[in-house]
Amino acid sequence: MKFLKYSAGVASLILMLLTSCNDLDLAPTNKFTEANYWSSPEKANMVLNMAYSQMYNSGYFFSTEALSDNIYEGRGSSSEKIISSGQADASNNRFANEWRDCYGGIKTCHTFLENVDRVEGMDEDLKARMNAEARFIRAYLYFRLTTWYGDVPLFETDITLDESKQIARTSHEEVLAFVRNELDAVAAVLPTNEEYSEEDNGRITAGAAVALKARTYLYSNDWQNVVNTCEQLINSDQYGSYSLFPSYEGIFLPENEYNDEVILDLGYVPSLRTWGEYFDYAPLSVGARVNQMAPTQELVDDYLMMNGRTIDDANSGYDENDPYVRRDPRLTATVVYHEFPWRLPDGTIQTIYIKPGTAPDESAEVDEYKGQGTNSTSTGYYMRKYYDPQSLASFTSGLNLILIRYADVLLMYAEAKNELNQMDENVWNSTIKVIRERAGFSDASALNFDASLSQADLRETIRRERRIELALEGLRIFDIRRWETAETVLNVTPHGAQYGDPSMDNGYIRLDKRTFNPERDYLWAVPQSQKDLNPNLGQNPGY
Amino acid sequence: MWSFFLKLLRLMKVTLFLLCISVFSVMAKESYSQVTRLSVELKNTDVKSVLEEIENQSEFYFFYSEDVVDTERKVSVSFRNTDIEKILTEIFYNTGVEYKIVGRQVALFKGEFDESNLPAVQQQGVTGTVTGADGLPIPGVTVFVKGTTQGTVTDIDGNFQVSNVGPDAVLSFSFVGMLSQEVVVGNQSNISVVMEEDAIGIEEVVVIGYGTMQKKNLIGSVDQVNSDLIENRPVANAVQALQGASANLVIQQRSMNPNDNNMNINIRGVSTMNNNNPLVVIDGMITEMGSLNNLNPADIENVSVLKDAGSAAIYGSRSSNGVILVTTKKGSKSDKPIVRVSTMTGFQDPDVLFQPVKGYENALLKNQALINVGSSPKYTPAEIRDFQQNGDGQWFLDGILQSALQQNYNASISGGNETSTYMVSAGYYNQESNFVGSFGIERYNFRTNLVSQYGKLKLSALMAFNRTMQKAPNASTGFLIVDGSRIPPYYTYQMKADNGKYLINDVLSQFNPLGQLEAGGFQKKDDDNFLGSLNAELDVAKGLKAKAMVGLDLGANHRFIRGLEVPFYSSPTAEKPNSYANDTRPTEDYNEKRYILNTQFLLDYNQTFNEDHNVSGLIGVSNESYTRQANEIRMKYTDPDLGLPQSDTEIDPGSYNTPAQTQERSIYSIFGRAGYNYKDKYYGEFSFRYDGSSKFAEDYRWGFFPSFTGGWRLSEESFMDNYKSNIGDLKLRGSYGVLGNQNVDDYSYFTTYTVYNNSYGFNNDAVSGTGFDFGNSMLQWEQSANFNIGADATFFDYKLSVSLDYFNKLTSQILLTPVVPSVFGGAVAKENAGEMRNQGWEATINYHAKTGAVDHNVRLNMADSKNEVVDFGGNEQIDSNDQLRKLIREGEALGSYFGYKTDGYFGSYQEIENSALPIGATVEPGDVKYVDSNNDGVIDDKDRQVLGNAFPRYTFGLNYDVTWKGFDFGVLIQGVGKRDMFLRGELVEPFHANYSYVMYQHQLDFWTPVNPDAEWPRLSAPGSSSNQNNWGRASDIYIFNAAYVRLKNIQLGYTLPKELTAKVGVQKLRLSVNAQNLFTLSNVSFIDPESTEFGSNMGGTGGTGANSGRNYPTLKYYGFGLELEF
Repeated sequence: MKFLKYSAGVASLILMLLTSCNDLDLAPTNKFTEANYWSSPEKANMVLNMAYSQMYNSGYFFSTEALSDNIYEGRGSSSEKIISSGQADASNNRFANEWRDCYGGIKTCHTFLENVDRVEGMDEDLKARMNAEARFIRAYLYFRLTTWYGDVPLFETDITLDESKQIARTSHEEVLAFVRNELDAVAAVLPTNEEYSEEDNGRITAGAAVALKARTYLYSNDWQNVVNTCEQLINSDQYGSYSLFPSYEGIFLPENEYNDEVILDLGYVPSLRTWGEYFDYAPLSVGARVNQMAPTQELVDDYLMMNGRTIDDANSGYDENDPYVRRDPRLTATVVYHEFPWRLPDGTIQTIYIKPGTAPDESAEVDEYKGQGTNSTSTGYYMRKYYDPQSLASFTSGLNLILIRYADVLLMYAEAKNELNQMDENVWNSTIKVIRERAGFSDASALNFDASLSQADLRETIRRERRIELALEGLRIFDIRRWETAETVLNVTPHGAQYGDPSMDNGYIRLDKRTFNPERDYLWAVPQSQKDLNPNLGQNPGY
Repeated sequence: MWSFFLKLLRLMKVTLFLLCISVFSVMAKESYSQVTRLSVELKNTDVKSVLEEIENQSEFYFFYSEDVVDTERKVSVSFRNTDIEKILTEIFYNTGVEYKIVGRQVALFKGEFDESNLPAVQQQGVTGTVTGADGLPIPGVTVFVKGTTQGTVTDIDGNFQVSNVGPDAVLSFSFVGMLSQEVVVGNQSNISVVMEEDAIGIEEVVVIGYGTMQKKNLIGSVDQVNSDLIENRPVANAVQALQGASANLVIQQRSMNPNDNNMNINIRGVSTMNNNNPLVVIDGMITEMGSLNNLNPADIENVSVLKDAGSAAIYGSRSSNGVILVTTKKGSKSDKPIVRVSTMTGFQDPDVLFQPVKGYENALLKNQALINVGSSPKYTPAEIRDFQQNGDGQWFLDGILQSALQQNYNASISGGNETSTYMVSAGYYNQESNFVGSFGIERYNFRTNLVSQYGKLKLSALMAFNRTMQKAPNASTGFLIVDGSRIPPYYTYQMKADNGKYLINDVLSQFNPLGQLEAGGFQKKDDDNFLGSLNAELDVAKGLKAKAMVGLDLGANHRFIRGLEVPFYSSPTAEKPNSYANDTRPTEDYNEKRYILNTQFLLDYNQTFNEDHNVSGLIGVSNESYTRQANEIRMKYTDPDLGLPQSDTEIDPGSYNTPAQTQERSIYSIFGRAGYNYKDKYYGEFSFRYDGSSKFAEDYRWGFFPSFTGGWRLSEESFMDNYKSNIGDLKLRGSYGVLGNQNVDDYSYFTTYTVYNNSYGFNNDAVSGTGFDFGNSMLQWEQSANFNIGADATFFDYKLSVSLDYFNKLTSQILLTPVVPSVFGGAVAKENAGEMRNQGWEATINYHAKTGAVDHNVRLNMADSKNEVVDFGGNEQIDSNDQLRKLIREGEALGSYFGYKTDGYFGSYQEIENSALPIGATVEPGDVKYVDSNNDGVIDDKDRQVLGNAFPRYTFGLNYDVTWKGFDFGVLIQGVGKRDMFLRGELVEPFHANYSYVMYQHQLDFWTPVNPDAEWPRLSAPGSSSNQNNWGRASDIYIFNAAYVRLKNIQLGYTLPKELTAKVGVQKLRLSVNAQNLFTLSNVSFIDPESTEFGSNMGGTGGTGANSGRNYPTLKYYGFGLELEF
């Protein structure tokens, strides 16, 4: 071999002299290597940026809502549709993907944390802040994991391939403890929303760490800690200053990005980093392709009348034949219903006709309800919240998606206070009332605290308020799981608007039945593929 | 080229014959009677029978008078390996009968021997002439007196002379490349023989790696496809022409779209989880598959397929998937230039194999699907009546497909003199797309092959240029087909209104395919390719040649995309469009330059020592350098007229400059071969290559690939003389070697950080993010230990030849991305880990016969390969895409389909109650029942089984040509004996996932209480639990038998009599009619059984396809051709 190598060397030399052959030592020109990557803060920062992008994404943001009773998926057989029909097994793709994506993001965080010190001459404060950002993202991802799967593998440094094939799951409690510890630690390091310069808008703040921590307690029904943590944001400016944005609709408009209500959001940029899910959600007459999923009648029914009464209240003034008038204004900001005034990008209003046979012309007719299995809505509604009037062709939008906002903190606080039986007029006025005022309610009966309500009545009120305020923001499924109402509200036949067979369900469109098995479905399955690779993972009950 | 070879061979033949004569003259010292040993064992038999037995065993024949010899006399004899004299002495002992042996003639007599007792021994002289079919004399033809050592060769004028032959003597005439002939002398003194060319002559010359070899001496597994199989076929490219041409050269045409001619090529099946593409070598130059597609099929002289280690190892690190060697045509040394002009023109008809049910039927069926799951029907009786009364409109798919013209023109001129030859050709190919609009592909080919001999130096300059121009729709084939086919043929649906507006409807609400085709813009490609090489060959000494070559394969490709905005309206009268196609008005340019530079030097040695020892040797060095650079600029919102930037134009962030797309690689090699054969009887050969590749880190860069081959021409053994003269040639051969595969991505050994633009946004400014890929600096070649054993035999005077091969390949060190738990967080570095075994066989049978004026030629090849994953690190991997599950599991074939076995459909509620069901499923009679394979009472992941495999097995090709007078007729039949095909989507599932709105005629045999033995389950609307149960799982309901037999090509030609055409100076004028894909026999009625979702490596690890059947239709071609030769 030695001789061969030698002669090959000589031969190569001859060949190279004679023609312009390529050398054998070739490095890529389109990628960096270990030799030239960790050389500047900018490059380290780009790894952190990657971690940001792995925190969450628009696909999960919207499809998660389809797991709840707010949305019905009329087309296709997505993983979420299979989960909500109760037919998911451990091989379900959503189970596998969410697991994979979370650990993928954790890997990026670890890569950043373990290599950032290789960058020479980096500003220590900047490095500390960036470390804290990475640790927050890792905590966020572990929280996502433990919320869905319960016990999950927990590790704080990058693991080897061998370790990944043997690692066992850490208990849900320990994972939560880790997450909360990390959030405490980074909250002390991270700047507040006011301390960041404008160009850093969207970076993780101390307030985000506190708010996420509050959410971790909320999902554990740990009411006292919810109260304590929310108070850090409500009663003090130590972790930043937040307030409700004056307009409910405006929170979700591109011109109001990074407003004072936003605590944590996913950063998108028009035409550069975009999402386009509305292409399959919006009414067809305004340019959508098909209708993938749509709000349910059950969601619409939960919107109060302007007088603060529920529609089944005899005194509410609700008219089944004119169901969308005098309703909570948030309905209009969230759901597209028959004769909805849709604001086009140019500012003009186009009326959406959904009730069969009502469209004045053929181009409007495409939105009409035409039965199940058609391109138009399957429920008689379309989605509205997060429609970006500035979106480009095919609904390509650069609008940020809000993960935590201040209204959520107020609602958490109200709920926890009530669960602790501490709901009073003060708490009410600083939470539910301000939220309703902002929503556009003006009737005193809707705004004022009703001392006659029992704790259970208030619970219902607060839960409804939470559903309505946060509808289509991807949070509903977590609420009904922690309330353990999922087994009720997800074990029914959902409905659409009253355009169906009059002989069935009073004419409300009857949709495919959902199934939720309380013995099993409160936790997702450890993905089958993962269990096959690592028998130490075990499995959640029922899978 | 061929005639040049013939001349060369003629010269060689003369030499060979002179050698033979001298050998025979040595042998002649011992007479026939002395060397011939006989074994006769007969009891109580008459003398006559004993003599006959001797005649049968030998070439002796007896002359005697029955008056003299008592042949009725009974004798008992027992001789073993005894000479004839001893036997005769014993038989006629004491009878007075004596014998005299003259050569092979034995005279029996009593008393004095009288010469007149041997009337047949009267000697005479014979002269004659041997000519070819063209009437020209053939020098060097071997003329033997059969059964003797007597013989001669024809002189330069084709004359021969043989003396001392009797009237019973048989003269045998043989010549390389010609059919042997035998003539009984009788009383002729002058014999004229016309030799005919033999297409399957054993002395055919076969191109092998870095050289050529006579077919009889070939001991590797090499199959050569000659130009006659490639020429005169209306194929788009050379690869298409090779389909069915060689055993275990498995070619699958994944799409018939002229703008997306996607072919899988596997030689001997799947041997690795990575790239299975064979190496392509054109005129000695290592190139790429794409260059093979760019060749003008009419320029190809022959294609050699190297299959085993013995023949392929000389290509070392890239040979494990086999090698395809292409040789192009050269001029011949005929003073008069030969001009050939040919054309083929025809129509391609799209053959759509599925049809929708009638509109009103569709509405009824849709209602039934809804009612079956408890939903309200969609169509009212009035609507259904309306559909029925008004009849159907045009089915959209029919509205976007059309017949298309295909044209092919070729012209060449070739010739030469004693010192140089030339071949200059030009070709033009034009195939229109079958999509409406004006799309298609055009290719221009030019070639100049020059060969010059200056004394001891031979120089060749081979240069080819081609330009391929394509115009394709600016929409994907799959979407166009599916948007055309998912729509019921309701009369209310229309793609284009009379006023020109493109329409959408309630089920096709975004855009329609006609609008996209007619007005949506285009994707244009113009690809220029230059393939050229300069070769020098110097005769250094006797038998020793030095060769040098520099070759360049240069490709400059450009793609230009214009997306034009198309408005779609919900009705002809609508003022405002509902939607637009291409509303971003994209204009994109992509430029790529790619070149392969090939340099090689070699020494080639060939010598025969002491007449019996044939020695050959070859040693060479080479480099192959590959460089590719590309850039792309994409703009959105460009000017609708010219595609120029305007004020709202945006640069798409996907645009990039050259550094983002630069690839370089390089391989340095030393290679060699040493061969020895004794008397063309025993063969031994060793070859190797030592490669250093830039794909691997310095310490692991060099790989050594040896092979050994042995061969034995059994029929050359003296004890096989009888076999040889009665049956034919027989050769056994075997090889073993280690081949390599380095087909992995460049730079895999580096850990790399890739910067992705616009990964995230802060304050509405996009920022980049970095992803990382781990490298493994210890990466190396894949190694494939390759064993081959084969036999070649001829029968019936070379009329029938048979080759059989068995191979067994064990590929190890397969470059794998290990299966990684998601917890690890991402892809881990590749490693040399996997192991696969691949074994199979090949049989090639050629038959050539002439009955009267009819000349038949039959070529049949059959083959099989079966692979098995041997080592996958103890893991298994299931890749999924919709309902497709593809398994990699040790012990199973790579990429086997995996899922639930179905057990028909539930017949009753009682059966449902007593059956295992999937988790959460609610089913009804008529729904799919799954097999609970582990009997645990529930259908879950543990019940999944291997359901089949998509790689073709038992592949075959049959080529039959027959000529009669001026007529020629040929068919090519090609097929696959065993293959499973996964097919999902609307072609299988009615109203698929609410994406499809139509049912097809082949779906009508569905379950109903009165049709319990149906092919398909009951109708169930998408979204329902039943639908999820029936169609939502990976099961064998989606797996179809894709075995098929296809009449690939059929051709009838007529060549006008030369006497007629010669008057106007035309040497040849042939007219032909031709059809392709005329007929297919298959188990699946609604889809082309050849369509596959997988590439040549079955998706490798991680790759899946999910065949939704949204294929470009199968094309049937009908056309005619014209050939002219001056």
